[in-house]
Amino acid sequence: MRSARYLAAVLGSFAILLAACGQQPAGGGTASPSAGAKATYGGTVTFGLENDVSNLDPMLSGLFVDRNIMYAMYDSLVRVTPKGEIIAWLADKWETSSDGKTVTFTLRKDVKFHDGSVFDADAVKWNIDRYIQTKGSLRTADLGSVDNVQVVDPSTVKFNLKSAFAPLLGALVDRAGMMVSKKVVDAAGADFTLKPFKAGTGPFVLTEAVKNDHYTLEKNPDWWGKDASGNKLPYLDKIIVRPITDADVRLTNLRTGQIEVMNQINGKDVAAVKTDSTLSYQQVGSFSWNSMVPNEASGFIFNDHRLVKAVAMAIDRDEILQRGSANGIGLVGWGPISPAHFAYDASFQPWPKADPEGAKKLIADVGKGPLKFELLVPSGDAGTLQNAQLIQSELAKADITVDLKTQTLNEIVTIQQQHKHLGMTFVGWSGRLDPDGNTYDFVVTGSPNNDSSYSNAQVDTLMKQERAESDPAKRKTILLQAQQIYAVDDPSRVWFGFGVSPLISVKNLTGMESYPDRIPRFQTAQLQK
Amino acid sequence: MIRYILRRLVLMIPVAFLVTIGVFVLVRVSPGDPALVFAGEERDPAAIAAIREQMGLTQPLPVQYVIWLGHLVQGDLGRSFQTHQRVIEAVTERLPATVELGFAALLISTSVALVVGIVSAIKRNSVIDLLSTSITLAGVSFPSFFLGIVLILLFAYVIPGHIFPPGGYVPLTQNAADNLRRLVLPAITLATASFAVNLRQIRSSLLDVFGHEYMRTARAKGLHERTVIARHALKNALIPVVTLIGIQVGAIIEGAFITEQIFFWPGIGRLAVQAIPSGDYPVVQGVVLVSAFSYMLTTLVVDVLYAWFDPRISYETASA
Repeated sequence: MRSARYLAAVLGSFAILLAACGQQPAGGGTASPSAGAKATYGGTVTFGLENDVSNLDPMLSGLFVDRNIMYAMYDSLVRVTPKGEIIAWLADKWETSSDGKTVTFTLRKDVKFHDGSVFDADAVKWNIDRYIQTKGSLRTADLGSVDNVQVVDPSTVKFNLKSAFAPLLGALVDRAGMMVSKKVVDAAGADFTLKPFKAGTGPFVLTEAVKNDHYTLEKNPDWWGKDASGNKLPYLDKIIVRPITDADVRLTNLRTGQIEVMNQINGKDVAAVKTDSTLSYQQVGSFSWNSMVPNEASGFIFNDHRLVKAVAMAIDRDEILQRGSANGIGLVGWGPISPAHFAYDASFQPWPKADPEGAKKLIADVGKGPLKFELLVPSGDAGTLQNAQLIQSELAKADITVDLKTQTLNEIVTIQQQHKHLGMTFVGWSGRLDPDGNTYDFVVTGSPNNDSSYSNAQVDTLMKQERAESDPAKRKTILLQAQQIYAVDDPSRVWFGFGVSPLISVKNLTGMESYPDRIPRFQTAQLQK
Repeated sequence: MIRYILRRLVLMIPVAFLVTIGVFVLVRVSPGDPALVFAGEERDPAAIAAIREQMGLTQPLPVQYVIWLGHLVQGDLGRSFQTHQRVIEAVTERLPATVELGFAALLISTSVALVVGIVSAIKRNSVIDLLSTSITLAGVSFPSFFLGIVLILLFAYVIPGHIFPPGGYVPLTQNAADNLRRLVLPAITLATASFAVNLRQIRSSLLDVFGHEYMRTARAKGLHERTVIARHALKNALIPVVTLIGIQVGAIIEGAFITEQIFFWPGIGRLAVQAIPSGDYPVVQGVVLVSAFSYMLTTLVVDVLYAWFDPRISYETASA
């Protein structure tokens, strides 16, 4: 059996190991007051969320916004630090077998669900079984490697895997590792999805849910977390989450004191917010990426992957970042492995500058005449269209004609998944903690997110290898080998940048940090008087 | 009169039936797969197939319609695809907010239009008249999504004191003062377009009435000008205005879709705006049905009001 240290290292950092050994505050994060500092308890914080949540059942949630509330009300088996390092949470420690096919978690013994039921190994087994076995569960892909879960004793649970699967811990950080009360699920029935009151073990208890209006979360006085000085967490009495879809209106609400914190902002407003003495702005690199998805199926223009490469060569990534809707907030990129991942390679810059002449030559080599294609752009966001228009003008310099067509994201995703789009689509990815979540499903033959119909035997082999490889250094090498193929040599799509995770709050709200997944953590937040 | 009202209520049934077909077809011909939206970024094909089946989307369209209609006649609008919340609960939860906003908008647009319209008609071609005509033009021209944002920015950054918050809702029963404070900006936004139309109608109706013989007779009898306007001119001039207000209820419901979104006012408009792009068919169908019924009921109320304004109209004869 390898130690918890070893598995943590799989995800790339010794800091993970230190955290798992208890050198992090038990409530996670690094934003809690330093030892000896006086904690400020009390207060209500209103969080302006970019859209309304769709589903608060971790099993059925498919949207990013849902997780913003879930992280306050549910605990997962493991969590991450702002640097993306995995730390102990409901699981105190974990060990993996030498063949990587068994992971044993030792659970905290001082945890109860908000409804008073006990959190133990039986609860973990019930939750994971529910995620795996329920028809229509959206967690089946995250937990696809899990064969069964075995209760060893009340505080020990063993995950038996079908095969070694390095990204499992990354999946257990999020919804697949969130624990809900069986009693509440049974009692609530279909209403559990919107009103899972008292269902979690987290620092806050969901007490009110009025869709399109607000969600109220009240302090869980019995939460197990403590800050670096040993003070009980959380500090706040209450969080109110208000969905405000318009970014300008959301910022105005922050500036006028109607809300205290938000985590999404238009690039154009960042400079003004940074200079506003009443506000605080933080950002870290995120796991998300931007891309254009070609249809490489037989019979479509981009079936010849050299034409995808021509597009990838011709676009000016720096210009998109600087002159596009991001206004310089973000990072340029050529592949899906982001700077927030352990496997990131800063030297991976196949086309540091746009190369329209090279693209022209490549198109001439293909010999099918001038390249012209349709780009489907999601409607409803002026910034997205602005970026697409910028790309259109850049590609024109390589004599590539782009017909922009706007449709709803729902329509585009439907068409794209059926592999019926004529040219490319303008669709990105919110990102996952483990680089496998940013890569595997997009490039391996027949995978669910492989909307470009990409198939490359060498990539398939490498990606399967990285999943089974437990040595992070070797895994990084394999991931980068594959990236060179699916992003450059035989491209599956056109990646052009990474997002950032901003956190904007009023000055007197302290103790919060920006995380690469962009989800705010409220357990260490303090409202200074 | 009662027989007329009952007859109209019965006639609503076939209309409602046609509305159900229209709504059902329109919602389903819109492209996109609700199961994919529900799954979000998760794309396990087996899970998506199971979701599609649970949503009842694997059945032929006529079967889906009959099932939905069967539940509808029992008062069950189904459950939201996204949240699994009962649609009837979702709609009734939000209806008070929309009714409050719509009522406030109607009150503002009608009362202000009445006052300005009367003054404008009496002082025809004066500065006030010119100003009101200009306001009318601006009100009709300003799209509500733009006006809403302008008002928010104006009260947030230009006018000190943050008198009116930039959105949000507090139930009337919870804090009446805060509720009214938050109501002002969305109500003005929603009222502006209909205010302009009402103003124009009141002004032109009054000018038309002023030219009639009975007005000259009333003045010749030595009646006070105020009495002439209130008793003789206004009551006659208001008949077309009442019709217009009836029609505007539809426009206000439609306008609420945008206004509620801007001011994050939790009404049925916002519910629909969230539901449409995600292909949440049961919710969209529920909201459209409720809106259609509201419109039909308003039309009935307007028709009944006619009889009060003009005693010559008798529905007993009409319905005989």
